[in-house]
Amino acid sequence: MDFDWDPEQRAFRATVRDFLAAHLPPDWESLAHGPASAAQSAFSKSFCGGLARAGLLVPHWPRRWGGRDADPWTAFILAEEMWEAGEPRGGQYMNVNWIGPTLMRFGTERQQERYIPQMARGETIWCQGFSEPEAGSDLASLRTRAEKHGTAYRISGQKIWTSYAGHADTCFLLARTGAGKDGISVFLLPMETPGITVRQIPSIIGEGDIHEVFLDEVTLPADALLGAEGQAWEIARTALSLERVGIPRFALATRMLHRAVETLKRAGRFGQETFAQAATARAACEAARLYSYSIIDQRRHGKTAGPEASAARYATVMAERLVSEFVVEQVPESLSGGDAMLLAHHQRAIVAGIASGAAEIQLNLIATELLKLPREPR
Amino acid sequence: MDFELTSDQEALLSAIDKLAQRFETKPTEFHGFALVSPELERELEEGQYYDVAQIPELGPLAAALAIERLARLPCTAEIALSMLLRPQLPGDWPRPFGLVENGRPGRFVASARTIVVIDGDSVSVAQPAAGEVEAVDSLLAYPMGRMKVGVELTRLSEADAGTARKWLRIALAAETSGLLQAALACAVEHLTLRKQFGRPLGAFQALRHRMAECAVLAGGVRWLALKAAGTADEADAALAAMHAQESATRIIYDVHQMLAAMGMTLEHPLHLWTYRLKALLSELGGRGGQSLAVARHCFGASAPGQPSEATH
Repeated sequence: MDFDWDPEQRAFRATVRDFLAAHLPPDWESLAHGPASAAQSAFSKSFCGGLARAGLLVPHWPRRWGGRDADPWTAFILAEEMWEAGEPRGGQYMNVNWIGPTLMRFGTERQQERYIPQMARGETIWCQGFSEPEAGSDLASLRTRAEKHGTAYRISGQKIWTSYAGHADTCFLLARTGAGKDGISVFLLPMETPGITVRQIPSIIGEGDIHEVFLDEVTLPADALLGAEGQAWEIARTALSLERVGIPRFALATRMLHRAVETLKRAGRFGQETFAQAATARAACEAARLYSYSIIDQRRHGKTAGPEASAARYATVMAERLVSEFVVEQVPESLSGGDAMLLAHHQRAIVAGIASGAAEIQLNLIATELLKLPREPR
Repeated sequence: MDFELTSDQEALLSAIDKLAQRFETKPTEFHGFALVSPELERELEEGQYYDVAQIPELGPLAAALAIERLARLPCTAEIALSMLLRPQLPGDWPRPFGLVENGRPGRFVASARTIVVIDGDSVSVAQPAAGEVEAVDSLLAYPMGRMKVGVELTRLSEADAGTARKWLRIALAAETSGLLQAALACAVEHLTLRKQFGRPLGAFQALRHRMAECAVLAGGVRWLALKAAGTADEADAALAAMHAQESATRIIYDVHQMLAAMGMTLEHPLHLWTYRLKALLSELGGRGGQSLAVARHCFGASAPGQPSEATH
């Protein structure tokens, strides 16, 4: 057991930091506000293009697809540094983490050639069409239907809470081709296809984050189907295993906590009355960090993380909450024009327990699989 | 960064686990608080387990793993202070150790050959003579004792005092981690067996979620304790103790709530762990004390009389 980074890992982190220092514009912090605004989305494409040219977009991908087969630590160090900086990759972090690798596993040669190279070049944005008005945590009850007509699929329905949909080029869409959980399929849906209407939902998270996506007799060729009909659950499970730890939110939370403390110090307000709250939050951030590292370490040793991944995720939710509460109580001016980055963090932190699956689902998994408590009756 | 145990660490942990299994039995006749096992202490002495932190291939991290495992036992012995603090003190001090803070009764004081004495900012070490210490009855589940006034103290330098506080924090976190796991296991067992409204209590979401949150907290305590033992860093030690006391405060309450009246009996062993945890909650200034340490070592808050340092 060793809690230190090896020289190669340190060097890689330094390279990523140097890249960020050289490529983030002076007004980046204002730009980071609004996680999928037009300006941020446009910037993410040029930024990711630069990352790709520097070999820093998909280092953990296979060489065939522009990577160098780097280990999971490399991918996670990259993710930490990006998220800590305010995630200048925008929605493209999803391509890098799970959409690309999922297509590598389940896509046809043609689908792979069509989509993966453009992801590796950093020039395309995807959104994930999972949630629906009647299907959130209970994803299996989704209603969007894909009906086969000859060699084509005709898709109708509604998606909601779709992040990045406003600027996405392609949607990783779940739609029903049959009954039950095994009747759900994945489609790769170009967003310029006729019949798609995207409506932004004004939100407290910031500009451009969540959307409704209406699908009105959207026609797709048969080769837009990923894998086989009814294979969505298996594909989603794979995607989830690639994204188990999720966003390293603790990295930005820790940075923002330190920033809030420095703000207090400058104002002569970092006194003993604030220490307990700051220390509690700092410890929670560190716990979330180590939890997440333990999952990456398991992956590095070729193991599949079990319910510990849910625990890591929930530890991160706790840390985000404590940092947010600290900022609200101790540095409230940051939410009123005082600090664009603290504001952006606060807006994003609120979704920590909601995005990518509700925290309560993680608690259920922890109770059943980690603690081995009896299951709830259904 | 590698979270796998080395073969040496695994071998030690396996030996400790084998030893611990012999002391695993929950007492049925013991209706007190501090269940001390001189046999366990003797076995640890004979196996030279108290010296593992000084063995280069094992080090303090292996000692922390051992402390955590042994803390899960229903019985207790003076382990953490001897394993982690003793090797870090200047000079050679005989075990067992005790700890006295600000004149209050402390753990293992009545039987200690060496007592660490914290008084405000100073840290001293003492070797009390017979009659200079006495046992006190306590609700806390360690043998508690008081040191009489007038015992000769050897005051540690400021640097050594800092080192002692750091290792006390790490020892506290490692022991807390084991105690939390044992307390949680008690609650899980009860929630699995006890049925109400026709189903096990553990099948009710209101209880499942509380237990799951506790498990996440306890897991965090473990990682922070192990990291601090591995890095010997001041900031890591402060964070580990902070998270340990913060999490234990919540978990003690929740596990007793889960066991309801059963957890109030002396027949059930839950209190053997929770009332040891309660003793640890107050040490080193409690959460307020850890907050000061975190503020100083993580946020660069000034020590008394010094300018603050910028961080991050």
